Order: sequence, then C-alpha cells, then structure tokens
Amino acid sequence: MEVVLQHLSKHFTDKKGNVAKAVTDLNITIPSGKLIGLLGPSGCGKSTTLYMIAGLHKPTEGKILFGKSDVTNVPPEKRGIGLVFQNYALYPHLTVRKNIMFPLENMKMPKEKAMKLAQQYADLVDIGKLMDRKPKELSGGQQQRVAIARALVKTPKVLLLDEPLSNLDARLRLQTRVEIRRIQRETGITTIFVTHDQEEAMSISDEIVVINNGLFQQMGKPQEVYDEPANLFVAKFLGNPAINIFEGEIKDKKLLIDGIEFDHGFNGEDRPVLVGVRPESFRLDTEKGKLPIEVDYTEHIGRDVTVIGHVEGQTKTIRIIIPSEQLATIGDAKKLKFTPKRVYVFEQSGERIK
Amino acid sequence: MLEGKKDGWKALIALAPALIFLIVFMFFPIVNTFIMSFMENFQFKSGAGIFAINHRSTGIGFGEYINVLRNPLFITALKNTLVMVVISVPISIILSLLVAVVLNGIKRFQNVFQTIFFLPYVTNTIALGMVFKVMFGTNHGLVNLVLSWFGVGPVAWLTNAASGGYWSSLFVIVVYTVWTGLAFKVLVFLSGLQSIDKQYYDAAKIDGASRGRIFSKITVPLLSPMIAYITITSFIGAFKSYENVIAIFGNGQYTFGPYGNTNMWITVVGFIYKTMPNMMQAGALSRASAGSVILLLIILAFTVIQLYVSKKKVNY
Amino acid sequence: MAQQEENMYFASEEAKKAYRRKHIITQILLYGFLILVAIFILIPFYWMLNTSLKTVTELDLPQPTLFPREIAWSNYAYVFSQIALFGRYFLNTLLVSVCTTVMVVITTIGAAFAFSRLQFKGRELLFGALLVTMMIPGEMMIITNYMTISVLGWMETYTALIFPFSVSVFYIFFLRQTFKQIPDELYLAAKVDGMGDFGYLFKVMIPIGISSIITIIILALMGAWNAYIWPQLVANAGPHRLITNGLMAMFTEEFKSYDNYKLAASAVVTAPILVFFIIFRKYIMRGVSRSGIKG
Repeated sequence: MEVVLQHLSKHFTDKKGNVAKAVTDLNITIPSGKLIGLLGPSGCGKSTTLYMIAGLHKPTEGKILFGKSDVTNVPPEKRGIGLVFQNYALYPHLTVRKNIMFPLENMKMPKEKAMKLAQQYADLVDIGKLMDRKPKELSGGQQQRVAIARALVKTPKVLLLDEPLSNLDARLRLQTRVEIRRIQRETGITTIFVTHDQEEAMSISDEIVVINNGLFQQMGKPQEVYDEPANLFVAKFLGNPAINIFEGEIKDKKLLIDGIEFDHGFNGEDRPVLVGVRPESFRLDTEKGKLPIEVDYTEHIGRDVTVIGHVEGQTKTIRIIIPSEQLATIGDAKKLKFTPKRVYVFEQSGERIK
Repeated sequence: MLEGKKDGWKALIALAPALIFLIVFMFFPIVNTFIMSFMENFQFKSGAGIFAINHRSTGIGFGEYINVLRNPLFITALKNTLVMVVISVPISIILSLLVAVVLNGIKRFQNVFQTIFFLPYVTNTIALGMVFKVMFGTNHGLVNLVLSWFGVGPVAWLTNAASGGYWSSLFVIVVYTVWTGLAFKVLVFLSGLQSIDKQYYDAAKIDGASRGRIFSKITVPLLSPMIAYITITSFIGAFKSYENVIAIFGNGQYTFGPYGNTNMWITVVGFIYKTMPNMMQAGALSRASAGSVILLLIILAFTVIQLYVSKKKVNY
Repeated sequence: MAQQEENMYFASEEAKKAYRRKHIITQILLYGFLILVAIFILIPFYWMLNTSLKTVTELDLPQPTLFPREIAWSNYAYVFSQIALFGRYFLNTLLVSVCTTVMVVITTIGAAFAFSRLQFKGRELLFGALLVTMMIPGEMMIITNYMTISVLGWMETYTALIFPFSVSVFYIFFLRQTFKQIPDELYLAAKVDGMGDFGYLFKVMIPIGISSIITIIILALMGAWNAYIWPQLVANAGPHRLITNGLMAMFTEEFKSYDNYKLAASAVVTAPILVFFIIFRKYIMRGVSRSGIKG
C-alpha cells in the first residue's frame, strides 16, 4: 500500500495565538512494501508527520493518500494502520495475549480465531512463549515486540513505528533493528519508522526521508543520500564522524580553498562557498596533496586511525580517517589529497552546487 | 554504598519523639484495652496505675463479651450500623464515581466545581449536622417547604411519628453521610482518572475500540485500585458512624434519636461511648472494651472479604 | 469545542452538524448534572446563613422564608454575648491546634526521616506495625487513653488534649513517601561533601520536602478545630473546652429552641475553617488526594 503525502502541513496554535509550524508542505511518496526511515533531529516534525499518517493529528493543510484513497478525513481506527508508540503503550492490566487480541476483539472477531491469530503474530515477533505475562514482567525489548505484534495482528495496510529503538540499550538496539527488518520482509507491509539516529535509519531502511524544521530535505536510498547530499544539512546530518566543512570561495569560476585551486567550471559570480569532504575521502599525501595540514592528535581505534588537525586559514578542526597502516604523528605537517568525486560544494545558504 | 549502614543510635534519636507517643497512646492502649475486655466486671481501683491488669476484676473470661452481645441496646446498635453501612456506602461511592467521571470529561470550570464539591470535607460535623436538622424540620424546614410546592404533605423527618420515624430519620442520616463523604471520594477518583496516561486512550483508539469499550476495558480497570481503596475505607468509616448521627439529632453526645426515643439510631461506636464514661462503675470499661474489640473484628472480617474480592477483580 | 473538533473526522458537513448538535446536548447534560450536585452541596450553607439571619419572630412563621425579611446581624452579636466563654473556646482551640501541630511536625519529621533514610534493625517490622495500627478503630485506643489520662491526673488539662494527638501514622506515611522520592545520589553527594545524616535532614531533606510538610501543618491545624469526641470526654466541663464541644453545649442548653441562634453559632464555627480552606486549598486537596493514590 503506497502512502502519498501531498502538501502536508501542520501548525499548532497555542492559547496566546503563537503559531508553531511543526510540518510545512511535505510532498512525499512512500513506495508500497518498503521499510522507510523518517530521519531528522529532535523536534524536526518527523513524529508529527507520523501521527498525521496515523490519524491522531489532523493536518492543517494537505492530503494523505493510502493507495488511491484519500484518508485525510478518515479517523485512525478506520485507516487500517498499526502504530507502535515510543513507550509501547501496552495495557498494563492485560496479559500479553489479551493485549495482542485487543484490536481483534474490537473488530468483533470470534475468540477462537482471535487467539490463533494472536499466537501467530506473537510467534512471528518471537514472544510466543510469554503470552500469559503482564507487561511489567517483561523487559523493554520484549514489551516492544508485544507492541509490534499488537500493531500487526490486524494486518494493517501501513505499519508505523515511533522511535522504536531509542528506549533500548546499545546492544539491544543492534539486535532489534535487524528484527524489524526481518519482520518487515516477512510480512511485506509498508513500514514507516521515525528516528533521530542516522546510523539506524541508514542501516535498515530501503529509503530514508530527511526532514529538518518541518521541511523536506531529501529522499532516497541510504547510500545515495549519503553520497549525493542535496544540501548542507543532509551532508552534515549523515555520517559519523561528521563531514568536514571547509571555507572556500569561487573566484573566476574556480574553486579555491585558502587560495589553492581545487576545481573549475563553476557558474556564477565570485562568492564565498562551503566545501564538504567526508573524513574517509582524504588521503595524507605529501606529494600529491594540495592543502597543508598540521596534525594535532591521532586516535587509534584498531580498525583505522582518526587524525585530527588544523589547516591554516580554516576555523574548524579537520578530522580524517586513514587506514591504520598509514602513519601520522603529532606535529607532522602533511598535505591533504581529496578524492574528487567526494567533494561537495555548497552555497553559504546550504544549497548544493553541482 | 548504602548497604550495611548501622544507624541504630541515630534512628533512636530521630524516632524517639514519635515512638514515645506511639507507645503510650497507641500500642499500649491496644493491648491494654484488649486485656481489659477479658476482665469481667472490671473495677477501677484508685492508685492502681494505668495497666489494666493491676485493677480488680471478678475473673478472666468472655463474660463481658456475652454481656455486650446479649445487650438489647447493642443489638439495636449493630442493626442500625449495618443498615447505615449497607445503604449509604454504595450510594456514596456510585455518586462520587459518577461525579468524578463527569468532572473529568468537561473542559471548563473543573476547578470551580472541584472546590465546591470539596467544601463539606473541611466543615464541622456538629455544626452542619444542626443545619441538616433545621433543614429537615417538620414545621419550618426547607425540605418540607419544597415538598409542599409539589403538593406533598409535611414529613415528620426526625420525630418519633410511629414507625415512619425510623426510616425518615435514616433518610436524613444517609443524605448527610453522602453529603459529607462526597468530597474525599470525588477527589481520589478524579486524581485516579487524571493519572491514566493519555497514550492508552490513543492506543485504544487505533486498536479500534469504541467509546464504550474504552471506558469499560481501559478506564475502569485502570481505576480499579482506587475503587477498591475507596470501597474498603468507606466501609470501615461507615462502621464507625457516630458523630454524624448525634450531629443530626443535635442534642448532645448521647442522643441518637428524637425526643422520647433517644436510642433510636444508636450505633456500635455510640454504644461504646455510652458505656464507658463512668469509669468507677463496675464493668463499664471492660464492657466498652469488649464492644470495641467486637467492632474491630467486624471491621476486620469485612476488610478481609473485600481484600479477597479485590484481589480477584483488581487486575493490576 | 473548536479545538476538539480539530482532531475529529467527519464524513460530510451533515455529519459534522449532527455531531455538533449531539455534542451540545451532551455538554448541557454533563454541566447540568454537575450544577445539580453543586446545588446539593451548597444548599446547607445557604440555609445556614439564611436561618441565622432571621429574627426569632420570623422563625415562627408557618412557612419558612427563603430570604430573611429583616436581616438580623444582631444575632451574631447575641451569640457572642450570651456565651461568655465563646471567645475562650476559640482561644483554647487555637492553642491546642498550634501545640498539636508543633508536636506533630517534630514527631513526623523524625519518624519519616528514620524510616526513609536510616537503616536499623527492625525497621520493616516497626513500619509494618504502624501499618497495622491504621486498621484498628480509634475506639479501642480511646478507652485506655481515657483511663490513662484519668490516672495521670490530666483530666481537664491542655495536656490531655495535645499529647494523644502528637503523632499521626498517616502523616508519617505521607512524609516518608515524599522523602523516599529524594534520589539516593543526593545523599551520596552530601556524604562526599562531608555532611552527616542529621545535617542532610535539615539542610536537604526538609527544604526539598517543604511543600509536603506545609500540607501536614495545614491539615494538622485544621484537625483540632473540628475535634469533638475526645475533647468531650476529657476536657468538657472546665475552662479548657474546645469550640465544637462548646457548640454542642449551646445546642443543648442556651439556644436549644432557637434555630437562628444555633445556626448563627454554627456559622461562626464553620467560617474560620472555610476561610482557611479557601486560602490553602491547594495544599489541603493535594494532601488528601495523595493519601488515596498510594492507598
């Protein structure tokens, strides 16, 4: 079931008349049967968007379509969605079994059938043996799986997850995100999840949608968005350690950093620009490198080495990742060699210049 | 790091003030009264001190208990108390639950209503009891005035008119008890309702539950601990009825009825207080003690039953 | 109402109008019910005021009036003047109230501190014993206390009125709960900073728990005002009489047949507490509701 958001906006007006624009003019098509991550920093409007798709928030403007039907005015219980809340919202007074059966009872399904279906989905998410426990007797990860089963049991057209991994400890997060992937593949349900962790989003999504300040930034397959960021925000948000931003300029249609030419063929007037290069896109090469860098610190984490240094004329420190075989010592004066395809140039406003 | 702390001395100092009073006026009396109840024909002896066992009695046994249980006044008191409990408690609880639910469902003026509903809690039982007596006065009362607007003849609420007097007085007592009891219950129920996480309602909506199902399957179960608590404490409180009865009849601490039938609505606690004040009289204190132990047992029995029931029904 | 509608879905304009209609009817029913209950609660107060301001002759009218023909403010002055000791009762109650509150604060803070922050042998046992006493009817204790007071020669004294109420298990529970909510880390940090347990109590626990302590103070102050049973037993005959007992005496003696004076007296006794309540409403209601949540 494809989900289409058209010109979707949500504004909150408080008692004093102040307007908070949570989401503005989103136009997104979410392909059917895929696992999509809505990614962005806290407060960027991603949860609001999810809740609008669920029907718990009514859009101020715009439409939401499930397939060909306009569901903008359809109440949540009639949309056929399943929602896993960030805090799971399991009914504390009901057993796991009764929690999962609850939606089915509301659909007036006969008890026999409901129990079988509940067991089926419980087994799917791997809590089939805990059916008679109450939520407070379960661990966080187990509770979440119950919440997922409850959402899936009515075979929804769309499955929505609100920050599914943020309440779990680090180790459980790695496990669970694989689980989510597995469950999505097995059921084939269009799944949208919200997260602020770019690594999470990248690791399991078929496509990611990046949102900032309620505005759409970019959508695409994770690697594509990583390799070809549409703007400065996306470039800075994805990638760990974060991308290095150099202050440069376009002069006579040439790209210069600290006076050294790196590229040519740019349009437009002479202006200052920002140049983004990811830590892994450098080599330290005293011969072929162009930009001089002085090494301040090195961090050896076994797999590779992070070199932290500064370039004269640049305000920010630069981080580079080099294979551990290469050597770098503090105080070294080296030269940076950039990988040409991986240099991103942005206007000061953040737009990408191709 | 907090394990193995040895604070024996500090605890003693901190607890000392409380402990002194607790021992003298709470723990000791419980034991002492208990002992006294078994001292038949307890005779207070001057100079014998505060320990019951040092005073005279004609023997140790259940004599006083039998005496009390056979006493027609006590039987009346027991009957009266049971009637009051059985009638006023359910009405009280259902009404307050209803008020709390409605109050929780409106948006404006919640505070105003809450304050109004809470007023009776702080008022003086004796003072307001007299107001009710005047309101239900036969000739000049407000209630009869309103009834006369509907053509219903004046009712002799708190007088000795034949057999009707018993039930009409009960009506007044029940109304007064409900009036004073609403405040506490509404407050507790309302707090309980407000403490239910809104997310459960959202989740239930998404799970397709109708408003009725949300109330019966989510709200009531999550409120059930409060309901159980209120039920138990209300029953206990009702068994100890005394002040509200004498307040209604407004003629001193031993008047439980209208002129000519001052024991009409005597309660178990009323019986205890009527029996005890003359310390010098033989058996007075021991009889009162036995009465209080019987009261304790009744309360215990009811509470145990209710705890058992709530274990089964309060599912969380 | 518009806000609620914002989040609702209507199949059509007609559906929206029908909902609006139903909504208004429901709202009328709900508010109507609450207003009825509010009237039920307020009527006695109104009748108290109404009757207390009537003249004696007006009381005898065959049908009671809903509003006094002549407002007899003098009734109140009369009440005060007739009862020479009325003012005395007020002062007694004030004195007992304040003293009891002071005692209660001392005993409660100490006990709550011990149960929440200190470790000692028998802590759980003692606490359990306190729990049990909550179940026991006060009448069992009153009988012995009556005898105790008599033996100790404290009949008709302030001591008899203050001491038995110097400790309250309910307040200890309440404050202990508040103290328990103070995170352990604070205690450890204080210890590292060289603060002892009692220093921690006075410099950290009490300031943090001050609003609960205020609630206890307010509830305790109110307690003496409406006390009846115990003072009736031990301090009713002499100059130590408390206000509620004085009130009952007025009902049975001086004003026996005069509803207006009786209710004027009732009003005088009720008014101070009502004023107190309106000022400290927040604390009182919070204290009462918390006792319910924890059960």
